[in-house]
Amino acid sequence: MNAVTPQRTAAPAPVGLLAELTHRCPLRCPYCSNPLELDRRSKELDTATWQRVLTEAAELGVLHVHLSGGEPTARQDIVEITETCAKLGLYSNLITSGVGGALDKLQALYDVGLDHVQLSVQGVDAQNAEKIGGLKNAQPQKMAFAEKVVALGLPLTLNSVIHRGNIHEVEGFIDLAVTMGAKRLEVAHTQYYGWAYVNRAALMPNKAEVDRSIRIVEAARERLKGQLVIDLVVPDYYAKYPKACAGGWGRKLMNVTPQGKVLPCHAAETIPNLEFWYVTEHSLSDIWTNAPAFTAYRGTDWMQEPCRSCDRREKDWGGCRCQALALAGDAAATDPACSLSPLHAKVRALAAEEAAENPPDYVYRTIGSNVRSPLKEEIPL
Amino acid sequence: MNAAFPTPGTDASQRLLSPEELEAALRDIGARRYHNLHPFHRLLHDGKLSKDQVRAWALNRYYYQAMIPVKDAALLARLPDAALRRIWRQRIVDHDGDHEGDGGIERWLKLAEGVGFARDYVLSTKGILSATRFSVDAYVHFVSERSLLEAIASSLTEMFSPTIISERVAGMLKNYDFITKETLAYFDKRLTQAPRDADFALDYVKRHATTPELQRAAMDALTFKCTVLWTQLDALYFAYVAPGMIPPDAWQPGEGLVAEPAAPTTGPAGALQASDVPRLPRGVRMRFDQARDKHVLLAPERTFDLDDNAVAVLSLVDGARSVAQIAQALAETYAADAAVIEADILVMLTDLAQKRVLER
Repeated sequence: MNAVTPQRTAAPAPVGLLAELTHRCPLRCPYCSNPLELDRRSKELDTATWQRVLTEAAELGVLHVHLSGGEPTARQDIVEITETCAKLGLYSNLITSGVGGALDKLQALYDVGLDHVQLSVQGVDAQNAEKIGGLKNAQPQKMAFAEKVVALGLPLTLNSVIHRGNIHEVEGFIDLAVTMGAKRLEVAHTQYYGWAYVNRAALMPNKAEVDRSIRIVEAARERLKGQLVIDLVVPDYYAKYPKACAGGWGRKLMNVTPQGKVLPCHAAETIPNLEFWYVTEHSLSDIWTNAPAFTAYRGTDWMQEPCRSCDRREKDWGGCRCQALALAGDAAATDPACSLSPLHAKVRALAAEEAAENPPDYVYRTIGSNVRSPLKEEIPL
Repeated sequence: MNAAFPTPGTDASQRLLSPEELEAALRDIGARRYHNLHPFHRLLHDGKLSKDQVRAWALNRYYYQAMIPVKDAALLARLPDAALRRIWRQRIVDHDGDHEGDGGIERWLKLAEGVGFARDYVLSTKGILSATRFSVDAYVHFVSERSLLEAIASSLTEMFSPTIISERVAGMLKNYDFITKETLAYFDKRLTQAPRDADFALDYVKRHATTPELQRAAMDALTFKCTVLWTQLDALYFAYVAPGMIPPDAWQPGEGLVAEPAAPTTGPAGALQASDVPRLPRGVRMRFDQARDKHVLLAPERTFDLDDNAVAVLSLVDGARSVAQIAQALAETYAADAAVIEADILVMLTDLAQKRVLER
């Protein structure tokens, strides 16, 4: 135990752990939330370390574990890791592309107690979907995978990330979810961090398309009440108030990267000078309470105006720190997605401008590519 | 027949009653003067009122509901120690809720909306009878101005309310096709809250009414409260039943309603029935969360915090018992009316089913 470490601002116990087991993935989606510099296989944590991390997570109060990546089933030990979750009473959520080895491992995952599957679908039309995901023949694999999930009696959530390349398919996603027998559908408008930030001009829909998609979802929610739950994430740039990123910095969620670095959110590494701790060097509890990256923006002490005196400060928690950095040039600024930010009008104008132009080609995610982070290059607004 | 005030024998009014005798005397007041005996309530519960007469009741009674936390806050402000305040403040939480959309007042608004009222009209209280306002205000003043013992004793009508609630819910569901279980959700909570509140208040009165004079004062306070309730029904009867003299400015049938009366005759799509056998599907489970010292329901991408009632219900959701059987089991455990519990848990289970975390 690191009992001597001084206690900082009291942090509620985290409820969720996002376990990015690997960055390897057969898909190459241009909005991937992984960082631009992906971890290589040789750097990934071993099975025993993940099992220790999960044990510490359960002791710390974590309830949900999101087994993610990359493609989590690319790990040979995904079944063992899932079994560990079940033994610890942790709710296991497999966030998968459904391609590659996913289908082959599904029965074993079910047998050891997997709780829930979240399957990504890039599009409804197979050709469009495979263009977005950058993998030929992915769509039939996904359909076969979904069928097996439902046949086993596992709850299925379909996750669709929405952008200008598929926003015309929102009705189709809803129909697809119903046909597949999914219980939940996430209609998640792209959040512009990481790869999505690089590809923002290729992905940004216009306001009319966004409004239309919201109306469709609202009508379907009513029509499909009791049959399909639809969660809608609206695009930040068109919203009135920002999202409380990850439920507030260091309040609900921890994210462990393939090599064991612990982040308050999956994009946190874009913020320079934050000191992240590794599970190989500290206990999860110590990291949650004391790691500089977690204490930096926890609570409200760090806030500037207009957040500091805003009565929404403990609702939005200032929005997203990474977006504040990317758009305002200061990670402690008010998220410019917020209508109260002095930069908000510029953000809206920027989104509208990009959405009005012909989309450039996607920059697909790849491991070891030479994509320069626009966050360091671009002049903030 | 019934005296205006209970008159225990001359001896009894002179001597100090034992705590048990005092309780019996208090219960006797309720047995003779509580408003379940009022003709308007008999009509209400037996299905003899028209829809507009039920509306008049819901509208006027809203003012009483809305002022209860004001009354309790006045009482709270005078309680001398933290332990008592902690207990009493729960009543305010019960009524006001601890967030938007929660609490007894909100549930009463739901009831008023359920019989067709526009929410804003109800909130404005402009259509209520003067007698309603006078009675309720008199109660608030009484609690603010009289001794603490009398103020607490005046709340003891809660001892009698589970009976009336059971009668009311069962009767209204049976007799009015415009009343749904959802509409009556207010009473589900009161069924467990009222006895808890009354137990505390009764205990307080028994311990603090230590002289014949104080005991008399406690009994008079309870009698006064019964008249507060009774008078409101007198006024409703006079205005809306017979002779039907509606005072100027009071609500007239047709006023304050939403254009399309929100009066569903059936529950929302997919509502559970008493004969349904609910179960938690794979991927949904209840567990005790040690870190936060409470039960939670874990489900895809979400966690539900569970209160004691929800835990009691979900512990019996096993894929074998029907809703009716679950209600029966709970009724035996908590010595309450199964019909009322059933209405309560149907609402809760339907909500979970619509969120796709419960199946049948």
